[in-house]
Amino acid sequence: MMHILTPRSARFSGTALLMVLGLAGCGGGAETAQNPLTSAPTQPSSYTGPAPATADIQAFKISVWDNVKADNRCGSCHRLGGQTPDFARMDDVNLAYQQALGIVNLASPADSRMVTKVASGHNCWLADSASCGAILTRWISDWASVTQSGGGKTIQLTAPPLKDPGSSKSFPVTPPAQFTAIHNLLRANCAGCHSSQSATQQQPFFASSDPAEAYAAAKVKINLDNPALSRFVVRLRSEFHNCWTPPATSSPDCATNATVMQAAIQAMSDAITPTQVDATLFLSKALSMYDGTVASGGNRFDTNVIALYEFKTGSGNIAYDTSGVEPALNLTMSGADTNWVGGWGIQILSGKAQGSTAASKKLRDLIVATGEYSIEGWVVPANVTQEQAHIISYSGGTTARNFTLGQTMYNYDAFGRSSATNANGSPALSTADADEDLQATLQHVVVTFNPVSGRRIYVNGVFTGDSEASGGTLGAWDDTLAFVLGNEVSGNRQWQGTLRLVAIHNRALTPAQVQQNFEAGVGQKYFLLFSVSHLVNVPQSYVIFEVSQYDSHAYLFNTPKFISLDPAARPGSIPIRGMRIGLNGTEPTVGQAYKNLDTAITDSLYTATAGQAISNVGTIIGLEKGPQFDEFYLCFDLLGSHSKVCSNDAQPVIPAVANVPRPSDIGVRTFEEISATMAGITGVSPNVTSIRATYANVKQQLPNTENFGGFLAAHQVGLAQLAISYCSALVDDDTKRGQFWGAPEVLNADLSAQGGLDRLINPLLDRTLGLTQLASNPDRATVKSELESLVSTRLCSSGCNPTRTRVVAKAVCATAIGNAVTLVQ
Amino acid sequence: MQRHTMTRAPRTSAGIAYAVIAGMLLSALSPAAIAAPRDQAKRIHDRLVGIPPSEATLTQMAALINSTNDTAGALLAANLAIDRNRIESSPFYNVTLKNFVTPWTNRDQTVFAPLNDYTATVIGMVRDEVPFNTVLSEDILYTASSGGAPAYSPANNDHYQYLEDNHVDLRTALQQTTQSSLSGLPPAATAGVITSRAASQAFFVLGTNRAMFRFTMLNHMCRDLEQVHDTSRPPDRIRQDVTRSPGGDSRLFLNNCVGCHSGMDPMAQSFAYYNFDETAGRLVYTQGQVQPKYLINADNFKTGYVTPDDHWDNYWRSGQNSLLGWSQSLPGKGQGAKSLGQELGSSDTFAQCQVEKVFRNVCFRSPSDAADRGEVQRIVGVFKSGNYSLKSVFAETAVYCRGD
Repeated sequence: MMHILTPRSARFSGTALLMVLGLAGCGGGAETAQNPLTSAPTQPSSYTGPAPATADIQAFKISVWDNVKADNRCGSCHRLGGQTPDFARMDDVNLAYQQALGIVNLASPADSRMVTKVASGHNCWLADSASCGAILTRWISDWASVTQSGGGKTIQLTAPPLKDPGSSKSFPVTPPAQFTAIHNLLRANCAGCHSSQSATQQQPFFASSDPAEAYAAAKVKINLDNPALSRFVVRLRSEFHNCWTPPATSSPDCATNATVMQAAIQAMSDAITPTQVDATLFLSKALSMYDGTVASGGNRFDTNVIALYEFKTGSGNIAYDTSGVEPALNLTMSGADTNWVGGWGIQILSGKAQGSTAASKKLRDLIVATGEYSIEGWVVPANVTQEQAHIISYSGGTTARNFTLGQTMYNYDAFGRSSATNANGSPALSTADADEDLQATLQHVVVTFNPVSGRRIYVNGVFTGDSEASGGTLGAWDDTLAFVLGNEVSGNRQWQGTLRLVAIHNRALTPAQVQQNFEAGVGQKYFLLFSVSHLVNVPQSYVIFEVSQYDSHAYLFNTPKFISLDPAARPGSIPIRGMRIGLNGTEPTVGQAYKNLDTAITDSLYTATAGQAISNVGTIIGLEKGPQFDEFYLCFDLLGSHSKVCSNDAQPVIPAVANVPRPSDIGVRTFEEISATMAGITGVSPNVTSIRATYANVKQQLPNTENFGGFLAAHQVGLAQLAISYCSALVDDDTKRGQFWGAPEVLNADLSAQGGLDRLINPLLDRTLGLTQLASNPDRATVKSELESLVSTRLCSSGCNPTRTRVVAKAVCATAIGNAVTLVQ
Repeated sequence: MQRHTMTRAPRTSAGIAYAVIAGMLLSALSPAAIAAPRDQAKRIHDRLVGIPPSEATLTQMAALINSTNDTAGALLAANLAIDRNRIESSPFYNVTLKNFVTPWTNRDQTVFAPLNDYTATVIGMVRDEVPFNTVLSEDILYTASSGGAPAYSPANNDHYQYLEDNHVDLRTALQQTTQSSLSGLPPAATAGVITSRAASQAFFVLGTNRAMFRFTMLNHMCRDLEQVHDTSRPPDRIRQDVTRSPGGDSRLFLNNCVGCHSGMDPMAQSFAYYNFDETAGRLVYTQGQVQPKYLINADNFKTGYVTPDDHWDNYWRSGQNSLLGWSQSLPGKGQGAKSLGQELGSSDTFAQCQVEKVFRNVCFRSPSDAADRGEVQRIVGVFKSGNYSLKSVFAETAVYCRGD
């Protein structure tokens, strides 16, 4: 039984097969159909056979036949009298069409036999079979877009094979001892290319001299549960990839190499204990990502695409242009840190991916012909701090360009040469600072240009509002420049980040088309149908997730739904609670977004076409072995009548607290305490104008923490200033002075005599040290002696008159209150 | 004492003082054994009130310490020092408490920020011994009656700025009132200092309102988010604005981001109706309408959580953060900031945090060893059983650190 759904709306059909039209016709109204852009791979001899009999045959001819008939493509074999089917025969395109119908699936071009055969390695004309497959898919899609009213994507939900979650082996976090043997084999035989230290380096670097780096790269090539299916083994045994000469032999022997490699992997596998699934739990059936139904790929608006990079290859150093528009503008990845990432993409941290100027010329030619263009990318900026970083550029250095999409912190910058700008594409159009449109996350960004309205920037399908008054013409475009990603061709405008898809169109995409391409998303998505028929009394019932590889380290699980593929089935009422995603026999600790789920599948909410949404949130689950080997399942605390908690939280651990030495148990008063202390001692209000002014000046100069270690000379200066301010106010205020020193007038005291000194100093000591000596205070007699010495030997060394006494009184007062006696607490 | 070597007599009082004070500083830094009741009394007073006691107060406190066994007497002495009816206790309210609270009220955590409604409210609650576990939930506000002071306004801080500039005695001037009567907030939307103007200005301004949660955790639970990091909580309530693959590397999310956001986002949802209007200078509350700031950057993760209302859930009631000691008499979920404030205020960690903060303020150190920690636990017990009187925590702590 198969079901069909669109990738986004996921509306399910109640019939076995249903065609759901895509969005190619969205926008409404009468539209002018545009022929897809194609050009011939080589110049074939002109066709002299019968004219295409129907519009569909004409579409086949333009989109597929013209591209595959050449001698360096399928026409080499599948010609008249050659290999059947002869869909590339050149005598009669109508007969070729009949043959082609048997090997294409216009409803789902990617599933066409023509595509799958080539993608699996059958005479691809490029070094990367997947890219040939992508190009063929695009040609067939172009054909279908004419015939199928716009090339709508049809997705057929297929019931996956039923298998129970099995015990599974997982990779240890650090390389196990047995990895050494594998690593030695890789080092000895693969390091010429697959090492970051190699002069001719090729990703992935599983032959790195660093075991940790090698281990990380090797995991996805090793199948612990079935070593014979490990990519390392298959690559040698079946694909004869750079086999080496075994010891004591004279020629490379792939079979022996594979056996040795398999034995080493087997040894590592044997040393790892499988993770057992608890059989008493209530689990769905298990799936790997590739068991799912492909859910994406057909809804982009690519009618005018002239260069397209989907980055599906995953290895090597060529990023293929899969637009199908010749010449292919393939990009060579170079630099110290340019990597492939999982789920399709390249990460550029240091380096670039650049095409030749000859191939890049097609951009100039095709864009100048229309006077319009669009630069489209799914990008993940690594940070929001980089400036003058060029993401996508068609240029010749820092002073000449036809167009560039760049980053300046939170902004996208669009440079474009036209009659309204200079040869460097300036002035640039940038997104507004305040909007912070650029974020260090996966974003869809499009720059469109047309002669009337000029450049416009769209982020995540939405026009940012950044535009220019008018555009201009492109006649001055330079055809000697090169197309480059992640940098400037001169290498000095490094952009750091990940590119998941890049497309260049020779038309300005309309807002609706931008939105369409944003909605289409990026990367391969799958519908994973987790069977729960054995747990609920509903035939062919599934919990369906939309799953994709999110990046190199995680899967994205989105929007689970419950549905039966039997359109007549009704769920009744099925409680569902505490759903967990299992991975390779265990329940990942992180990312269990459905753990708190508590809902029910009911007849009132369930429809045969759409099922019933279980949750509208998504989550990411850490990748372990890679999409080929990671096995998922679901566990339910409660589903229908079955109930058992999948797992409980680990017992919290009370953290140990270490003893630390006690610091000094005394400290200093802080700023306001100092002021209040001085106010308390002197009796002068802090509201006195002169004190307010001084305090405002020195407030932040005084200590703001009690810690002795933080006390600085600057603090002491501030303290003295404040002390002088208080004492000055005290001495100058007759009333306050009288209250403080009492009668007779202290300013009349004879400071050359002991009595006069006592008259001045004793009240100060009484107020600062108290009447009784405290152990924590300085010795009163010592302090008094010091103050007396200050007066007699310094301040009044030449004698004191009443005017001088006022100054002396202030000085002695400030000395008495501006020291550690008041500072320390 | 060290002799000075200057040969020319300074001619100004300032010059003289600078020269001599530095030398005298040294004389007091040699700690002597502190044991006598008068020494204990002085330290208690110093630490609580911030200034040395008057001779009469010192004598009175020392007598109390002498009169009974020393701990009970010291507690009486401490309570005397901060007795709101004694004028000499004013700096406890005007200085000690103000500077204790001020760093909680701003993002820079600076003590040099102006007096504001947040600070004044805490001072008032301490003075009046209002149960402090309501500080994050009560409909409460303190203003002052002081001639010349501008009237309280929810749109500016002029009222409190005046009080500080003019050294108005908060001990006597502060008067308890309600936020709802002055700010226009519905009573149910008030949440203690969380909905004060100062906190709103600092933590509801711009951003995503997560700052309010973080700083409330920091100031009242003594935990920054790193310390409550738990990656095992379900991430279903993490909003759309949190990218799941920062810079293209989901390991960052899985190992770091999720640890805080999984617990924080479902609780910060309680602030969904609040915003600080910078133009109007006041807190805005939109009942039933989620603030746009909760929905920004929605494309960072399209199937992230879309906030529909101000319902919050405490995911930290299970897992490692169950150790924070959540009240079993509360449901661990609710609507709005008030019930979240109750959830936080009722936790063991809240009480523990208040005591630790006071301990640091009074003893000049964090609890350092088993003796300190044991004492903190004892004082936590006193705090809880004493109707959450923070004033008593100050007194109890000063007694412990009075020297021996």
